[in-house]
Amino acid sequence: MRKPKLSTLIDHAVLIAGSLFMMLPLLMVLQMTTIPDTEIIRTGPSLTIGDQFDDNFTKAMFEASGFSGENTGLSMLKNSMILGMGFAVGKIVIGMMAAYAIVYFRLRFATLAFWLIFTTLLLPLEVRILPSYEVVQWLGMLNTYQGLIIPLIASATATFFFRQFFRSVPEELVEAARIDGAGPVKFFIDILVPLSQTMIAAMFIIMFVYGWNQYLWPTMITTDEDMYTLVRGIKQIVQVLEGAVVPEFGRSNVLALVAVIPPVLVVVFFQSWFVKGLTESDK
Amino acid sequence: MPRITLSSVIASLALTTAATAETKIELWHAMGGALGETVNQIAENFNASQDEVQLTPVFKGSYEETLTAGIAAFRAGEQPHIMQVFDAGAATVIGAKGATVPVQDLLADNGVDFKIEDYISGVRYFFADSDGKMIGMPFNSSSPIMYYNVDALEAAGVTPPATWEEFQETTAPALANAGYIPLAQSHLPWIFTENFMSRHNLPFATNDNGYDGLETEILVNNDSIKAHFTALTEWQESGFFEWYGTGWGDNQTPFEEGKVAIWLGSSGSFGGLSKKDLGFDFSATYLPYWEAVTTEPKQTFIGGAALFAMSGKSDAENAATAKFFEYLTAPETQVFWHKETGYVPITEAAYELAAAEGYYQEQPAAEIGIKQLSLDAGENTRGYRMGFYVQIRDVMNREYGRILTGETSVEDAFSTIEEEANQLLARFAKTQG
Amino acid sequence: MKRAGFTTISLPVLLLLPQLVIIAVFFYWPTVVAIHSSFYLQDPFGFGSTFVGLENYADLLSSREYRKIAWFTVVFSGLVTFFSLAIALVLAVKADKVLRGAKTYRTLLMWVYAVAPPVAGFIAVIMFNQSWGPLTEFFGLFGHRFMVGVNFNDTAFSMVLASVWKQVPVNFIFFLSGLQSIPRSVREAALIDNRSASGRFWDVTFPLLAPTGFFLLIINITYSLFDTFGIVDTVVKGEPGNNPMTLVYKVYVDGFRGNDLGGSSAQSVILMVLVLALTIFQFRLIERRIHYT
Repeated sequence: MRKPKLSTLIDHAVLIAGSLFMMLPLLMVLQMTTIPDTEIIRTGPSLTIGDQFDDNFTKAMFEASGFSGENTGLSMLKNSMILGMGFAVGKIVIGMMAAYAIVYFRLRFATLAFWLIFTTLLLPLEVRILPSYEVVQWLGMLNTYQGLIIPLIASATATFFFRQFFRSVPEELVEAARIDGAGPVKFFIDILVPLSQTMIAAMFIIMFVYGWNQYLWPTMITTDEDMYTLVRGIKQIVQVLEGAVVPEFGRSNVLALVAVIPPVLVVVFFQSWFVKGLTESDK
Repeated sequence: MPRITLSSVIASLALTTAATAETKIELWHAMGGALGETVNQIAENFNASQDEVQLTPVFKGSYEETLTAGIAAFRAGEQPHIMQVFDAGAATVIGAKGATVPVQDLLADNGVDFKIEDYISGVRYFFADSDGKMIGMPFNSSSPIMYYNVDALEAAGVTPPATWEEFQETTAPALANAGYIPLAQSHLPWIFTENFMSRHNLPFATNDNGYDGLETEILVNNDSIKAHFTALTEWQESGFFEWYGTGWGDNQTPFEEGKVAIWLGSSGSFGGLSKKDLGFDFSATYLPYWEAVTTEPKQTFIGGAALFAMSGKSDAENAATAKFFEYLTAPETQVFWHKETGYVPITEAAYELAAAEGYYQEQPAAEIGIKQLSLDAGENTRGYRMGFYVQIRDVMNREYGRILTGETSVEDAFSTIEEEANQLLARFAKTQG
Repeated sequence: MKRAGFTTISLPVLLLLPQLVIIAVFFYWPTVVAIHSSFYLQDPFGFGSTFVGLENYADLLSSREYRKIAWFTVVFSGLVTFFSLAIALVLAVKADKVLRGAKTYRTLLMWVYAVAPPVAGFIAVIMFNQSWGPLTEFFGLFGHRFMVGVNFNDTAFSMVLASVWKQVPVNFIFFLSGLQSIPRSVREAALIDNRSASGRFWDVTFPLLAPTGFFLLIINITYSLFDTFGIVDTVVKGEPGNNPMTLVYKVYVDGFRGNDLGGSSAQSVILMVLVLALTIFQFRLIERRIHYT
């Protein structure tokens, strides 16, 4: 066997250092879920592994801190799921439909529609957050799933993604379909959607993570405890840590973990789709 | 005839519903952690005590978030029946005349006796209008007081200081020698500005501290308070004072850890402190004052928050709210709240009840807040009423932080606060136009 | 549009309708409202309001504090962008080179992509706890008393660190896929032409990655302007005090904490202009990029 070259060793050293930089904070959170809160407030995170994980997990997932008894970790997990899924599905369905209309139809106002949709890419939700909030409030959609999800869909990233993709689909396909007598609906459902499967999967992963991780918007429009998502719940956690007699670090860290794990698993398991989706959208 | 039958059925249905169904009311509050649990307990007790009203308390986050959530809900017509608003938000909620039903009117309209003299003097007027009519029901009323580590003071051979001069000359050097950080505090605008003015009977703003009109200017840029902050920076340098940031808890923790000997906090912190296993004895006394400024220190005013009855509710719901306020102000409820949390009881009757139970013999420190609120009043001790005060406090916090990190001088900081606060006040006046 | 498109009218209109309705209601309407309320001072409860023209803008632009926050935002964005790009580039180059464990490294280096910014902020709060935070203790070894929430620079440092940590993975993914798309023939030619590894990197790899880098530059600036809100908010624990803050956080502080609707809307409009300028800049770059490829 050949001796490894010095440069190879350096490469590995750099990569290991990078991996540790990414991993250590999470390991610290994990460690803190296993030791008693009274120990944490004295010593902070340490290297010992305690036996409190089950207790903390039960507290975090099944016990509520509010009067309503509704903001358990489980209910926040459910809301995060609904937000992530609802956002991803909504965005993909609406985006595909719009992209199909723009790419495959001769429409007089297609250019206008294109620019109307296109402009939404320019201004993120954050810069129009206050009036967006007012609009949702006028529509009576505060503390609802619609209010949580739909305004987030009002940006056309998915539409653009699919527009790019449809434009790369060979022209012959649609001609062949027309010769076979397939109408636009049939063409869309039987040919274009199956053809887009990988793209849809990639988009779904990116959008799911994006929706799941929303913070500012849920912080504003959900004030009912039973509507909190995990990520929005982080704010509550930090505040409760401040006000409590014995700050419940164990419980909070479990919630932080639960907030992180589902999107991380999705990204890790569907890595190749996800990477493809992310880098393809750069167009 | 069917028509009559139908309408009579509906009428009788309506009657039965009104007679049997409970009126449901909601309370939005900002009491997290242990305080929130006590609020929940009060709600449960209230619900169990009668069967006409069902109260649901909802925790809405910090004071600021609760106010914002309440305002948004009001604009959407979905306001709660009762909303907790903190001291700095008083001008906003009281300024919006149609947003709330003055608690005094609400109680009178629903046949509940109301006499402002029943309330202890320090809490009467903070949440009142310029004519002295009570608009919000004081709820978690607290005042800044001085907590001290009894063991530390004994070790240093000193007694709790009554004046800042005493602190500077005697207490602090002894505590520092004994290995303690002598002083920390948790809220610079509240303790070292608002209540500094009240304790020394200095005017805080024009127009009678802002109660009498919108064209108010802040009077914060004065020599007494500047001297105080100059002293703070000197103490900081000689190791007599330490500042741990704007966060409340960051300053309280070192006291609990036994590193800091004297901590200025809220009388409402008492409950939490006494529930913790601190490993040392603690007690409390009045907020010190500068003898150089006044020889007749006055009362402080309440901080914390009040409960406001929101407008736009049915008579039945208003009656339910009044019923809850009646329950809340009952001496027994107040004493329970007082003992659990350390917030002061708001009525004389409740105070007497707690005293009669011998509570203050057991816990003398628990009485400090009330006694300090009941000290002599002066012309500047009623409170203050300034718009956009949340931002004004943010400006103070920012500038004070800069003083204490050496980024600015006391002189510059106070002229900045004066300038920005007056600009905010002028802007607020226009929002009311 | 495809040349061989369909000619039906009603179907595409139906298909476009959901998207158009949503952006009309939740994009155009709020944008118009923001511009409108930036000319008023309003009572938060909605009882009074005064038309003040451009006063909200004048107040902001003449405010020393607002300019300070704007400057901090620029410095913050610069630091976050630079460090997350630089670290990601180094890691991507190494991950592209190694043969063994490449897949494991890739996974370990990208998973943080899925972590929400406030969680990153929450972790920073724990790491920099004043009494026992591991990183506070680490800095203590060098005699620096690290105080998040007290010292402006320390607090800014913790925000930058958390933001970089969160952003490295995205850049890593893009750089790595950019590297992997460099054709084998180019690499082999470079190997013959250029003996030293660093020479090869600067002469061949770096120029080929430049388009990806330009694109990422914009992505990273946008990230540090907007997506770091959750980090800032958790690190300062909702109390601005003398802590650093970004322009977006200021919109939130004035609008949602302080209920100053007019002032906050004016700030939103200023941000809109800023983003528009950035986007135009981005288009210029992309145009250039198309010319190159």
